[in-house]
Order: sequence, then C-alpha cells, then structure tokens
Amino acid sequence: MITSKRHWVKTLLCATLALGTAGAWAQAKPPVRIAAINPLSGAGAFDGQLALEGMQAMVAIINANGGVLGGRQLQLVTYDDKGSPEEGVSAAKRAIEQDKVDLIVGGWFSAVALGQKEVTRDKIIHMVTSAQHPKVTEEGHNLLFRLNATSTMMSDRYARFICENIKPKSVAFITINDDYGRLEVDNYRKLLSACNIEVKGNEFYNRTDTDFSTALTKLRSQSPDAIYVSAINTSQGATIYRQLRQSGHRGTIIASAGNMNPKLVELSGPALEGVYSISLFSPESQRPMSRRWIEQYGKMFKNEPSFIGSLGAQAVEVLAGAIEKAGDPRAYDKISAAIRGQRWNTLLGDVNFSDKGQAMQSIYLVQVKDKKIIAVNN
Amino acid sequence: MVFLQQVINGLANGMGYVLIAMGLTLVFGVLRIVNFAHGEFYMLGAYATYYCLKVLGLGYVPSLLLATVLVAAAGIAANRFFFEPLKKEHEFTILLSSLGLALLMTNLAEAVFGADPKYMDTPYSDEMINLGDITVTQQRVGVILVASVLIAAVYWFIRYTRMGKMMQATAQEPAGAALTGINTRFVHAYTFALACALAALAGALVGPTAMLFPTVGDWAVLKGFIVVVMGGLGSVTGALFGGLILGVAESLGGGYISMGFKDAIGYAIIIVVLLWRPNGLFNPPPMRK
Repeated sequence: MITSKRHWVKTLLCATLALGTAGAWAQAKPPVRIAAINPLSGAGAFDGQLALEGMQAMVAIINANGGVLGGRQLQLVTYDDKGSPEEGVSAAKRAIEQDKVDLIVGGWFSAVALGQKEVTRDKIIHMVTSAQHPKVTEEGHNLLFRLNATSTMMSDRYARFICENIKPKSVAFITINDDYGRLEVDNYRKLLSACNIEVKGNEFYNRTDTDFSTALTKLRSQSPDAIYVSAINTSQGATIYRQLRQSGHRGTIIASAGNMNPKLVELSGPALEGVYSISLFSPESQRPMSRRWIEQYGKMFKNEPSFIGSLGAQAVEVLAGAIEKAGDPRAYDKISAAIRGQRWNTLLGDVNFSDKGQAMQSIYLVQVKDKKIIAVNN
Repeated sequence: MVFLQQVINGLANGMGYVLIAMGLTLVFGVLRIVNFAHGEFYMLGAYATYYCLKVLGLGYVPSLLLATVLVAAAGIAANRFFFEPLKKEHEFTILLSSLGLALLMTNLAEAVFGADPKYMDTPYSDEMINLGDITVTQQRVGVILVASVLIAAVYWFIRYTRMGKMMQATAQEPAGAALTGINTRFVHAYTFALACALAALAGALVGPTAMLFPTVGDWAVLKGFIVVVMGGLGSVTGALFGGLILGVAESLGGGYISMGFKDAIGYAIIIVVLLWRPNGLFNPPPMRK
C-alpha cells in the first residue's frame, strides 16, 4: 500500500511538472516584469505619476519595436511607496517575494531609496531614478544603480554657476527636513562661502507642511540677496515659490537641482519667472530617442514630459538594453556587468556607470523664461 | 516687527484650524462620532470651489457658496447612508469606519480629480496688504475676517435659535430630547451638514494659500484633532481658542525655536493639556460618580 501511495505521489508530481512545462510552452514568451515603485499618493503623488508615465512611454516604444530577447514584452508592475521609507521597503519586499518581478525601478525619494537598497541587496537588479543622496550609491551593492546625479555632483556644478553667473552677495536656504535637505545645506554652505557669498541662514520644513509663511518670514527678516529653495515635490515647491513672493522677497530665487518641471512652472505662475535650476533633461534636445519619447509621451498622457519622467524612461531604456546583452532578465550578474561595461546612448544622451553603479551624464543649466524651461547656453 | 508678522501668520493659520475643528467638535458633541473623514470634506470643499472657478467660470464668492452647499449635501448623504446605519454599533466601529470612509474618499478623489496638484487662483491670493514691514495677502486677511464672522454666527446659532437649542438638547441627552418631541434624526443630519459646510468653507478659504492635492484632508483632520483635543471634544469655545493657540504657538515656535519642531509643538501642547486638564481646556472636569 505504502509503495503504491508513493507511486501515486510521484506520478502526480510528474504530471504537475509536465503540465507546468506544457503551460510554459503554450504561453511561449512570458513578459519581462519590471516593478515600478513610485510615490503615487501623498504630497509626492504627482511626481511619482510623472516618473511612472515616463516609464510607460518608454515601455510602449520598446514593445512596439518587438520587446526584448526576441519578442518578450516589457511589463510594468506598479507600486505606491507613498513617499515614505516604510512603504517603499514593503513595496520592494512584495515585488520580490510575492510578485516575483524580474527587475526593480524605484526609490524616488532618497529616504525611500536608502531603505529599499537594503531589501534589494544582492537579490535583484535595482535601478534608482531621481534620489540624489550620495549614500544611495556610496555604500551601494553590485546590483544597485542610480541615474540621477548625486546632490554632491549637482551642487559642485550648480555652485560654480551661482558663484560665476548669478553672483548674489548673500544667500539663505529653505530646505526639506530630511537626509537630502540637510546634506544640501551643508554642501552649499561650504561651496558658496568659498566664493565669498555670505550664507545668512537656513530654515527646514517638513514633508507634510502646506504653509511656509513662518519660515519665509524668518528668512526675509535676514534680507538675503538670493533665496535657495530646495523643494523636491511639485506641490510643496509651487506653494513655497508663491508664498516666497507673497512674503515680500523681491531678490533672486534659486531652485534646487533637478526639481524643475512644466507643472511647477504652471502652478507657481509669475513667482517662478527667471528662476534657475539644473537638470539632466533638456526639452529641446534633438536626440532621436529623446524626440521619439517626447512624441510617444504626448500621445499617451496629458502632462508635459518632464525631467523626472525622462529619468524613468532612461531606467527602462538601460535595463532593456542590458537584458538584451545578458540574454536573460534573471541573470543578474551578467546584467550588472553589462550595465557597467559600456557607454549607453540614451534619450538623455551618453551615460556610463561607475564601479559603484552611479551614472555619469551631462548636467544642463536651465531657466524659466516666459513660462518655459529652457537650457541656458554658456 | 517680525514678531508681529509671525503672530499674524499664526492667526491666519489658526483661524483655518478653528473652522475645521468647529465641525469636528459639533459632530462629536451632537452625534458622538469621532469623524476621521472630516478632513476629506475640507478637501472636497476646496476641489468643488476649484472646479466652480475653473469649469463653471463663476466668481470666487459664488464658487465658495456653491461648494459649501454641495459639500453640505455630500455630508447629509454620508450621514444618511454611512453613519446612520452604524448608529447602534460600538463607537470604535464607527471610528474605524470613518477612517475607512476617509481612505475611500481620498482614493476616489485621486481617481476623479487626478494626482496632479492644482492651484486655486482667486483674485485675492496674490494681492498684498502692506502695513509698514508687515505683509499679508488679502486671502489670509479674508480667512481671518470670514472665519471670525462665521464663528460668531455659529455660536449665536447654537445659543439662541430653536434649531441650536434642539442640537444642545440632543447633545446632552438624545433619549430625553426625543421624548420632548425633537426629531433627533433630523438634528443629526442638520449637524452633520453644518459641520461639512464649515469644513468646505475652510477648504475654499484656506485652499488658495497653498496647492491642492487629494490628500490635503490628512493634514486638515490632523490639525483639527489637535485643536479639538486641546480645547475639549464637543466644546465650540474650545475649538476657537484651541485653534488660535495652536496657530500662534506653531508660528512663534517655528519662528523662534526651529521650523523642524513646528509639528512637535502641537503634540507637546496636547500632552501638557491632557496631563493638566484631561477633558480639554474648555470642558468641565468629569463629575464624580
């Protein structure tokens, strides 16, 4: 009896296995599944949406070209990190353990990326898009990459411009009260003091604040020439720029690096006119992939293509290329080597990755003129 | 001068808090419901005003009034189809259900209105009033003035009108009120509508001072609860003073200590108040039994 029972179990097992393979055969080319973890609710919801839309437009372009690995389509699995590290970590865990995705793109906020990278460490390819905190890649791991320039890289470039072109006599900061914001203030304090710009003060705000009048009143009482605004999400940014002008500040406004998008311009109205920022995305770029993506984006979404969206698109573009090279979306070591191994010609221009997985690409100076973000040639 | 400017900033914020807290406290006082979805009615009020301005092309004041009426109607519906059927349940069940309603409304708002932030452009939001070194936008002055009038009106209404007295009676002893012939169901619906109208007005008035997005209600309900706990649940006077104290304390604390602690100030006040007067500043201490 016992043997026959065992026999049955074996037969059943074989049958299931056979069925399983048959199923796999029948569904010849399974999609390559990429987790897209973005803030889709809360104050960062709109920025998360822009990033996701950028990814979706690029996925559509690649799929229309026949996908990857001889006909496998790319598929995005979306998660909401609500802009909080806890939610971001749990989303990454769900993506890996429950949904068994092939690759992860996520970590819009630095705080979220810092938490997530510990979950993805040595388990899965993780492409971070817009987080700027240097620590994301500083202590990174073999499978971790980041596209945006770090805040240190940004501030080196930006500080030079502020010292040489904007030339304010004094500056004050309003920055977000988290790792990223604190780092920004430290960087610019050093860099701007070095070229004899007096740093008058700094005020922190919290991620949930909707009123900044208290902080701005305090900054204005120090009467600085220029105010540097570090606002990483669009809704808070627009409120700060408006309230800053309402507080009576008539001097220069310097917007933090990488945080300029068409929606911000629309929402901030006249308050943003003439404001500078730096970005990796130049909307009038004539690069073929850039034009193609902007066109596809316009067909699919009503928002205007933004820097954040272009980073999402670049993530998909580089990953698709690397999968193609590695021959398998799960061959993580090969993919990782492929990403590091070459110079990628992407919609944002040429990019290559350091040993630590940090992308190196050109940074443009941009300015708002007549409600348009334009690259400043210098 | 900076001090005075900070006090004015605080008063403008505080008046917004008062309007939000007033509705919360009314609903708790009369219906015994801790309504976590109250912030969502604030959000609805702001969005309704926005769409009246943008889509219907109405002026700011008509938009504000229409939004108030619409949200009051939404409040009546929420009470009739959501809170009334739960009336016999344990108060924790109602509390958790209201949290559910809040989540439902936020997510619906995100689906319907979109996640992109919006800006409610009123004729007063960028116009400045300058008094020496002090600058305030007309919108903020408007918040202070309109809220003051509204608060006085609500106070007078509860104190002196027939409906207000019926609300007081229902709050004190629902069964007794019903026995004297008061239609308590009607009183409940009326109170809920009034509370939602106040939340909507707050949204329409405070909304233009910042950007509008579907989760603004989270902020509103949080501030509302701090005020209500401070002033005493169910006390209208408590909501008034609680709101103003919170607003001014936040802006002075933020201005003279550190902005990073701005949120902590509200919670610190709550702890002190609860240790010292557990029923809130304006509620009588509980009677000994």
